Amino acid sequence: MNTATPGLVAPPRVPGDLAMWFFILAELAVFGIFFAVYGVARQRDAALFAAGQAQLLLWPALLNTLLLIAGSAMVAAAVRAFAANLVASGRRYLLATLLLGGGFVAIKGWEFATKFGAGITLSSSDFWMFYLSLTFFHFLHVILGLVIVAAVYVHARRGAYDAANHDGVETAAAYWHMVDLVWVVLFALVYVAR
Amino acid sequence: MTSSAMATARAASVSAAANDPLTNVQLKYRSQAVAKPYFVAAIGLFVGQILFGLIMGLQYVIGDFLFPEIPFNVARMVHTNLLIVWLLFGFMGAGYFLIPEESERELHSPKLAIITFWVFLVAGALTIVGYLAVPYATLAKITGNDLLPTMGREFLEQPTITKIGIVLVALSFLFNLSMTVLKGRKTSISMVMMLGLWGLAIFFLFSFYNPDNLVLDKYFWWWVVHLWVEGVWELIMGAMLAFVLVKVTGIDREIIEKWLYVIIAMTLISGIIGTGHHYFWIGAPAYWQVWGSVFSALEPIPFFMMTLFAFNVVNKRRREHPNKAAVLWALGTGVMAFLGAGVWGFLHTLAPVNYLTHGTQITASHGHMAFYGAYAMVVMTMISYTMPLMRGREANSNAAQVVEMWSFWLMTVAMVFITLFLTAAGILQVWMQRMGDTPLSFMATQDKIAFFYWLRELSGVVFFIGLLLYIVSFFIRGNERASA
Amino acid sequence: MSASFTKSTARNIFYGGAVFFFLLFVALTLDTVQALPKRDNRANLTEQVARGKKLWEVNNCIGCHTLLGEGAYFAPELGNVYQRRGPEFIKAWIKAQPTGAPGRRQMPNFHLNDAELDDLVAFLKYSSEINTNNWPPNIEG
Repeated sequence: MNTATPGLVAPPRVPGDLAMWFFILAELAVFGIFFAVYGVARQRDAALFAAGQAQLLLWPALLNTLLLIAGSAMVAAAVRAFAANLVASGRRYLLATLLLGGGFVAIKGWEFATKFGAGITLSSSDFWMFYLSLTFFHFLHVILGLVIVAAVYVHARRGAYDAANHDGVETAAAYWHMVDLVWVVLFALVYVAR
Repeated sequence: MTSSAMATARAASVSAAANDPLTNVQLKYRSQAVAKPYFVAAIGLFVGQILFGLIMGLQYVIGDFLFPEIPFNVARMVHTNLLIVWLLFGFMGAGYFLIPEESERELHSPKLAIITFWVFLVAGALTIVGYLAVPYATLAKITGNDLLPTMGREFLEQPTITKIGIVLVALSFLFNLSMTVLKGRKTSISMVMMLGLWGLAIFFLFSFYNPDNLVLDKYFWWWVVHLWVEGVWELIMGAMLAFVLVKVTGIDREIIEKWLYVIIAMTLISGIIGTGHHYFWIGAPAYWQVWGSVFSALEPIPFFMMTLFAFNVVNKRRREHPNKAAVLWALGTGVMAFLGAGVWGFLHTLAPVNYLTHGTQITASHGHMAFYGAYAMVVMTMISYTMPLMRGREANSNAAQVVEMWSFWLMTVAMVFITLFLTAAGILQVWMQRMGDTPLSFMATQDKIAFFYWLRELSGVVFFIGLLLYIVSFFIRGNERASA
Repeated sequence: MSASFTKSTARNIFYGGAVFFFLLFVALTLDTVQALPKRDNRANLTEQVARGKKLWEVNNCIGCHTLLGEGAYFAPELGNVYQRRGPEFIKAWIKAQPTGAPGRRQMPNFHLNDAELDDLVAFLKYSSEINTNNWPPNIEG
């Protein structure tokens, strides 16, 4: 960054690692295609999908949405804290993200357990196939997000990040925001939209 | 001449020779030379593969050609098995060459490498002789197939004892290379190469699983075939290409290795679940039509990246390498792999399309260009780069390289035409046999598209001429260095 | 500080992605294996059918034919030949090979006895009843 010449605008920068952004775009593309195929399938058999949707509980999904959004807020706060050299604060915000994400995993896991317990599988119907595929695929991404944030947390404890260098935190935050965004779309499409 | 004048002349010629890419180059590590017999065997088996390909191509249009001495199925198993084995010889040679160089030490055991070479070659030759000499059912009986039946599946026609031999050869090869890497420098290129090679060996083990249940049989058969050619083989190919590009462009290895990881990440991210594009119609649940289509649609991405990446690093090169032919092969590999594996693969990967094209000449058109573009060409890239070095020079003479480049163009253009003609045949086949209210029978359809099979065979002959020219290029002397 | 694109991030994405998708593939495989009994016609997977599959393999039928669309493209699809031609035609056809018709694609005679022919036909019948999601599109295969 050019601090030697006052008045010069700092060059635009992308937070975090570019390689991660490439994969975020790839991930969004895959989820996007999946959502599109879901949309087409739903149009073809609206009654089946409406009946299936009616069997879904809204409150756990709503709670999950809040948990992920709160997690996004926490990881964004972590980035700001590290940028301000408040490393202890930053670490606590990362822990908070882990806790909130863990809550999502617990609730979603419970939801899966009840569905499998009722004998529902990928082959039960087209609706259940899409529901289970989309939410399970996303579920795995949340777990991966937790792994990434946990790895960043461990690095933070070893003093790897400060105001001048916290690319890893930004990369993890970018990934988490993607997972959050995908869930919001999924929640709207699968649970809510009638 | 006086002795001092001779000494001066000799000294002058040595220092001149040291700058001449045609002479006086030594391998960084002497044990890299074990790659040479592997590459020679690879080319020899490649010739055999194409000869039997020509036989099959003729049998498509003159149905009783060489019947009953060489029935079509025998010619086919010779053709496909030779393909796989020559590519394996190529990968092994590549491993023996690049691992010592990357690890910055001599190969763990050159002697083991040579013994393994002969075991593999003899076992392979005996197997091919077995295919040709006796009826397949007899081969099954005399090789004890009943004890552990693994014969009779496409590409896995080898007797069980041959398959066990392949495992032992692979283990010997992997042991030798792994010991070399463990005791030496670990680079991304060597780690990716080893990952790919170990993966190749591990997935081959699924060829021993042959249940009575046809659906399970087919499901796990693809864990060998798909996870090989649309999985771990791409890691091997990526590592080989990265190695050659580092050497011929002089570009910083950090950049190339970083892109290698992105490319192979996309390979596995798309290709593992992409296996599902083989699970549409074999009895597996219908959800594979969605999962398989979505993920396999992404499989062209790594090939596209390989092409971009190859052209980019060559464009930004820091040196003018005298081996122009090797650079041509490297760039050509990216393009043909992208077209054959990526584009042609994409054309028939989505379930609604595949429903109509499954098991037709569309499949054959993709298979030929994909195998040639990705794997045959990357092996020839490696041979093109390493063979001069193993013969004591940085690059071949201009005359030899020109002939080699002619062979590149003949084979590559011929393959494009093979693919186009088979695509045309396939489209007609789908139209006549799979669509409409009054579909024709298989045999009637085949008669009607024979014209395209003749054109394919003609292209195959041109391909073979290109291959012969490729071999000739190894024997051309010439004393002009190739111009930059 | 400018944005970076580090090799180690790319490497982590590779390893992470490979593990992630392999685990997902294993999960889908477990589901598939559990779903198969309703699709793969295993109720008819008798010892005779198993013998028929062995005959199919040791005579390398897949070297010319396709089965459920997989194999060689020299001769017709046999996954639905049981419906297309029926058992008696199939046995008679196999016994009568080669046709010797000049220029026509030739099939060897595999010298199968009557019991073996019945085994092979049983295998082809079993294969034709697997739930292939309505493939092939028509009776010609």
